[in-house]
Amino acid sequence: MLRLENIVGAATDPAISHRLHHLEHRGRVEYITLSPEDTRRRRLRAMTDCGTECAVVLDRSAQLYNGAVLMLDAERAVVVRMRETLWLDLAPRDAAAALELGYFAGNMHWSVRFEDEVLRIALSGPEQDYLDRLSPLLADGRVRRIDERD
Amino acid sequence: MNTANPEFNPATGDQRSPGAARVGIGGPVGSGKTRMVEQLIPRFLARGTNLAVITNDLVTKEDAERVRRSGLIDPARVLAVETGACPHTAIREDPTMNIQAADELDAKYEGLELILIESGGDNLASTFSLDLVDYWMFVIDVAGGDDIPRKRGLGILTSDLLVINKADLAPYVNVDLERMIREAVAVREGRPVLVTNCATGEGVDAVVDTLARAVLFDR
Repeated sequence: MLRLENIVGAATDPAISHRLHHLEHRGRVEYITLSPEDTRRRRLRAMTDCGTECAVVLDRSAQLYNGAVLMLDAERAVVVRMRETLWLDLAPRDAAAALELGYFAGNMHWSVRFEDEVLRIALSGPEQDYLDRLSPLLADGRVRRIDERD
Repeated sequence: MNTANPEFNPATGDQRSPGAARVGIGGPVGSGKTRMVEQLIPRFLARGTNLAVITNDLVTKEDAERVRRSGLIDPARVLAVETGACPHTAIREDPTMNIQAADELDAKYEGLELILIESGGDNLASTFSLDLVDYWMFVIDVAGGDDIPRKRGLGILTSDLLVINKADLAPYVNVDLERMIREAVAVREGRPVLVTNCATGEGVDAVVDTLARAVLFDR
C-alpha cells in the first residue's frame, strides 16, 4: 500500500505541471477520483486508476482539492481528481414558497447556493432521494424544478 | 522534491505525526453506542492500538464517567464534551469542542493511533462532520423497530458503516431481523452494514476489522 502523507502542491502550479506533463507521456501519472464529500477527509483508503492501493494520511490542517498532487518523483505521480458536484435547481413560485423551501432545505441540512431566484441544492446522494423529500412542494407547484432546458 | 515522507525533517531527523485517526460513533438514544465503545476498547488494545476516547453528553459527563470506571482504559485517556444543546451540533454544525478535545489527546499521547468519538444520543438525521472525523459509524438497534432503515434517515444513508445492534432482542420485539438487514443494505447502496450484540460482544470483531482497515490501513 502506498502511503501518501502530504499535498506536494497543485497540478496547476507551473513547475509541477511541467513535471506531470513529462510523466504523463510515460504513463506514470495515476489519479485518485474522489467525491466532493470525500475530499473533506484527512485519512482515507483509495485506489488509483492504475489499481494502486493508497493510504492517504494528511495533517489535520491539510485539505484535499481537485488537482492536489500527493506524490511526485522521477518515476511516478499521484493526483486527486474531484468528481463534479451535481446540483438540483429549484425555483419557488412566490415569496411564501421561497421561505418554505429555504426552511425545508435548512432543516434537511442540505448544502445550497443561491442564484437569483433559484435555490441550488448540492446532491450528495441519489437525486430521487431529494425529489422524494420535496414531493409535497413540487406536487402543488409551490416549487418548480429547473433544468438546463429552461 | 521529496514526496515520500514530507513530514520528515532532515535537519533534526524528526518525523511529525499526522495525528490519530478519528472515528465517530453516532446513533439514536439507547441504541448501544457506549456499550459499543466498551466492546471496542479491549479489542483495539489487544491489537496493540494506541487508543483514546471522547464522549459527548447533553449536560453531564455520564458516558465518560462510565467508560472511565469501566477499568478498560486509563481514565485520563477518556475526555468528556458537554454539548449543552442538541448533540448533533457538536459533531456536525460546530464540532470545535470535539476537535479541541481530539487535538488535546493527540498532543498529550505521543504515538496515539485512534480516537473514538461517541456522540450524544440523537435522531436518525444525525451525522458527523468530516472536519471532525475520518470515518463514522451509525448504531441503531432492533428494539427501535425494523422500519428504521426504510425511513432513510441521513445517518442510515450516509454513515460509512451502519451497525444494527441488539440483534438478540429481535424475537422479543417482533422484528424481522433478516428483512431489516436486507432493507438496510438496499438503502445504503453498497456501504457496509454489520450486525452486533454489544451486550455479549457478538459481531464486534467485524466492526474492529472494518475500522482498522478503513483508517488504520490494516489489510
